[in-house]
Formats: sequence, C-alpha cells, structure tokens
Amino acid sequence: MNKYLLVAKNTWYETVAYRFNFVMWRIRVVFQLLTVYFLWLAIIPENGDFLGYTKPLMLTYVLGTSLIASIALASRSYGIGDEINNGNLSNFLIKPINYFLYWFSKDMGDKAMNILFSVLELTMLFLLLHPPIFIQTNIFIIFLALISSVIALILYFLFNILLGLIGFWSPDVWAPRFIFIILLNFFAGSLFPLDILPKSVFYFLRALPFTYILYFPLKIYLGQLSQIEIYIGVFISAIWVLIIYWFVRIIWAKGIAAYTAYGR
Amino acid sequence: MIISVSHLSKYYQAYQKAPGFLGSVRSLISRKYTTVKAVDGISFEIDTGELVGFIGPNGAGKTTTLKCLSGLLYPTNGKISVLGFTPFERKKEFLKQISFVMGQKNQLWWELPALDTLLLNKEIYDVPNNKFDEVIKELSKLLEVEDLLKIQVKKLSLGQRMKCELIASLIHFPKVLFLDEPTIGLDVVMQKKLREFIKEYNKRYKATIILTSHYMDDVEDLCKRVIVVNRGKIVFDGNLSDLIKRYAPYKIISVTLEENIDPKSIDSSLEVITFLYPRLVLKVKNEKVNDTASQILKNFKTRDLTIEDADIEDVIRRVYE
Repeated sequence: MNKYLLVAKNTWYETVAYRFNFVMWRIRVVFQLLTVYFLWLAIIPENGDFLGYTKPLMLTYVLGTSLIASIALASRSYGIGDEINNGNLSNFLIKPINYFLYWFSKDMGDKAMNILFSVLELTMLFLLLHPPIFIQTNIFIIFLALISSVIALILYFLFNILLGLIGFWSPDVWAPRFIFIILLNFFAGSLFPLDILPKSVFYFLRALPFTYILYFPLKIYLGQLSQIEIYIGVFISAIWVLIIYWFVRIIWAKGIAAYTAYGR
Repeated sequence: MIISVSHLSKYYQAYQKAPGFLGSVRSLISRKYTTVKAVDGISFEIDTGELVGFIGPNGAGKTTTLKCLSGLLYPTNGKISVLGFTPFERKKEFLKQISFVMGQKNQLWWELPALDTLLLNKEIYDVPNNKFDEVIKELSKLLEVEDLLKIQVKKLSLGQRMKCELIASLIHFPKVLFLDEPTIGLDVVMQKKLREFIKEYNKRYKATIILTSHYMDDVEDLCKRVIVVNRGKIVFDGNLSDLIKRYAPYKIISVTLEENIDPKSIDSSLEVITFLYPRLVLKVKNEKVNDTASQILKNFKTRDLTIEDADIEDVIRRVYE
C-alpha cells in the first residue's frame, strides 16, 4: 500500500481509538447545527422570505454548511505547530517522506471519518425533523459545487499549515489560531449566508479567501450564482490557493533553515 | 571511509526572548544575540562497521554533532560526508540508508499498536514484504517483544516502547545508525539487553554505529573506540583502553573489613577515597596494586577485597580537566 494511503488509514484507526473524544466532538457539532437550524426556522416566516432566503433555502444552507465543514474543515494538521515546537519534526526530516503530504494524508483520514458521521447525522436529522430542503437536480452544478469544495479543502489545509509554521519561531501557535478560527467562523459563513450583509462589506469579503471555504460551495449548490459568478469565484479561490501555497513554500524554507540552524 | 568530518563547526545565534506571543513579536523587532559554539572545529573519520562512542558532559556538542551527521542541522563551517552524501541535502537515497534514534523523541503512533508504525515505515523505506517479515521476526526475537507489537503503544512500558522504537528505526537495515541516548530511562536489566542487541546488530549487519550516552556502562560495554568531546572540541579520540591507561594510571581497591581499625593505622602514602566502616576504598597506582593488596590482607582482618579498574566516569572527568 502507498505510504500516504497508509498514513490516512492509520489516522482513521487513531480516530477510532479516540472514540470518546470523537463522539463528544460530533455531539458538539450537532448541537451547534441544531441551534442555528432552529434559529432560522423561527425567524423566517412560513411562506415568505427573509433577506431573500426562503425557509427551504436557508435550512439547506445551514445543513449544507455542516456537511461542507466536515469536508473542508475537519483536520488534524493543526498539530503541525506543536510538532515543530516539541522537535518531533526531526523524526520526519530524517525519513524519505514529504511532510506536507504526510499531514494531508492525516487530514484525509480524519475527514473520511468526519464525513461519514456528518452524513449519518444529517440523515438522522432529515428523518426526525423532515425539514423542507432544496435539492439541486442539475448534475453540472453539483459537480461545480464539488470542485469548489475541493478548493475549500485545499485552502483550509494550506491555512492550517501556514498557522502551524509559526511554531518555527514562537511556542504560541494557538493564539494566532484562535484569532483565525474566529475570523473563519464569521467570514466563511458558517452562521449565516454572507450575502445578507451590506453589499459593500460583502464585496470586500468576496476578495478574501475565507468566503470560499464554506459559503461559496453552498451558494453554488443552491443554484443562486450565475455561471459567470461561479467561474469568477473559482478563479479567485484558485488564485488564493496559489498565493497561500507560495507563502507556505517560502515560510517553510525559512522555517527549516531556522530549525536546522537552531535545532530542537 | 564511511563517515568523514573535517573542521565541523556549529554555532548558534541564541537570543533572549520574553515569554509569550507578545514577547515573540517584540523579539522580531529587536534581539540580543549571543553566539554559542556548540561544536567548534572537530574532525574525525569512521570506518565501515565501527561502533564508536561519543561521550562528553551535558552540552558538550554530542547531539549537535549527530544532528549534523544525520542532516538535521546545517553546519556553520566544515565538511561532512556520510556514505558519500552531504547530509544536509537530505537526499532520498541518503535518508534511506541511515537511521537516527533519539531517546527522547518517539516516532511510534501513540494510539496504535507498534506494528502499524512498522508497516508504515516499511512503505516509507520501500522494504519488500519478505524482507520485512524476516526483519520483524528477527528483531522482535532479539529484543523479546514478539508479543508486544500488537498492543497499543500507549499501553507499553517505557522500556518496551524503546525497544519498539529501535525496531522501527532498523526496519530498513540502515548502514549508518546514530543512537542518541538509546538507554535513557531504562532499568539496568533493560539497558543491558539493549546493549547486547546493539552489539549484535553491529556485528551481524556490519552496520556503522555512533552512540552517545550518559551511562558509561553503555560505552564501556559497546565501544572499542571513543571520541570524547568537551565544549565543542574533541579532547580524545582513540581506544577506550588507551584512554584509561593514559588518564587513569591507577586502580580502585575496595575492602570490607572484619573489625574496625584506627584510620591512622592506614599507610599514609595510600590515598583513601572513602572510609566508612566496614568499607574502605583506596586509590592505588597501577604498579603498586599487588603490594598494597597483600599488605592490606596481611595487616587487617578483611572479609572481602576487590580490585577494579578506575571508575570510567572519573577518567572522563580527568580528560575534561
């Protein structure tokens, strides 16, 4: 078996070993989901809309973010910073293995488990709540939504690495990460669809990478974007992937130089 | 020549930093530097199949040297060649032939059985199936861990884990093996087993091994040749027996007395290390050992008398001075 596949598989097993932790985490996700779900259920009038969102659209948005989050956000790579800090990075530098691919594989193993649970949870919610939801029937649109989910996944992974690389210079890898998580929660649209914000704010946000992590893939799925808008969005997010990747490369090279100059 | 090091230096720019994130930010703007010479112009060569002990006090530069040799550190000055490679480039072909066991760092996946890490390493190092089965069988037998490989690593004891770590590091039959404090934290029995294993591995696979240790027993038991470093410089490079001869021209005589004696009755030309009835320990020049021993047996009622080589730690201490 390929080494990276094996890393993903081992991570999957590891998640099973951390059963209790994992189940608690999923329970938290479900409660968060329910809170937002019932909030919008109460706000939007039965046959009208709220800021352009009908009940089915908004509820699909809310439930959809949960699924996309398990694809894009679920990750292990937040451990990079600690690993650099405690010097365990050395174990990888002396092995013929690509460190980023190693962590990417770990993330994939973790995601596989999270996606599985997310699907199970959503199925249960559907059976229990019978929410009015919007089902996209256009295969091409679904395909585009998937593509942008993959871009979201890569973007988030790169962000995670970038934040982890702080570990080369500072033991405080968590402080910046918390700031990032707060920014992300707001700007990625996990609480509400971003287009209910004032237009000027929204336009500004569209130029930032955050919106492409949750909001954008869902908007595609909901069929609320024109083809041109989709292509522009995919283009902007792809540019961000390149920019952040470029940053990661440069900072990694500098970090490794510092690490191998200083040693841990 | 499998390893050759010439005029290797490694200086650190250490800077003082206030703790915390703000301290880090502040230190980005202004820093106070001091240069630490961890390794300062050392040269040596090691042949295929040698088992060399690297000894020295804390902070002498032992680990730093090993890190330079394995490619983890970028040398400030000097040339290193290991297996014909420049370690710092960390070429795939180089990494596939070396291994670095760091007693204080672990590579085993904590939540999984050790076997899962071994299987992963098998893929990382492209070890063929039959070779893998063979090496696992052999190494786990040598280290007596056959039953432990399928148990979660977190449930193993420190010693058991260390043995599994060692197997994980040897799965690809490294030609050059760096061992940094491999016996740290192990009990005496386990230390001994691990040493026997290292010896056996060296012999059987003609592997070149460099080992650092705080435990002199490790070095005494394993290494014919030692390199003593202090403050980043080599102070001795040669056979361990020569080291003892040169720096310790004396032996230790330990006597267990039958009856208490007046300390004044001990020959004043003898150097007493400790005298705490019933135990008397003397330090005696090599050429006088026989005379002194027979004198003691004649003059005092003794229950037991042993003659030992100089305490190697004491010898090493003399080298530093």
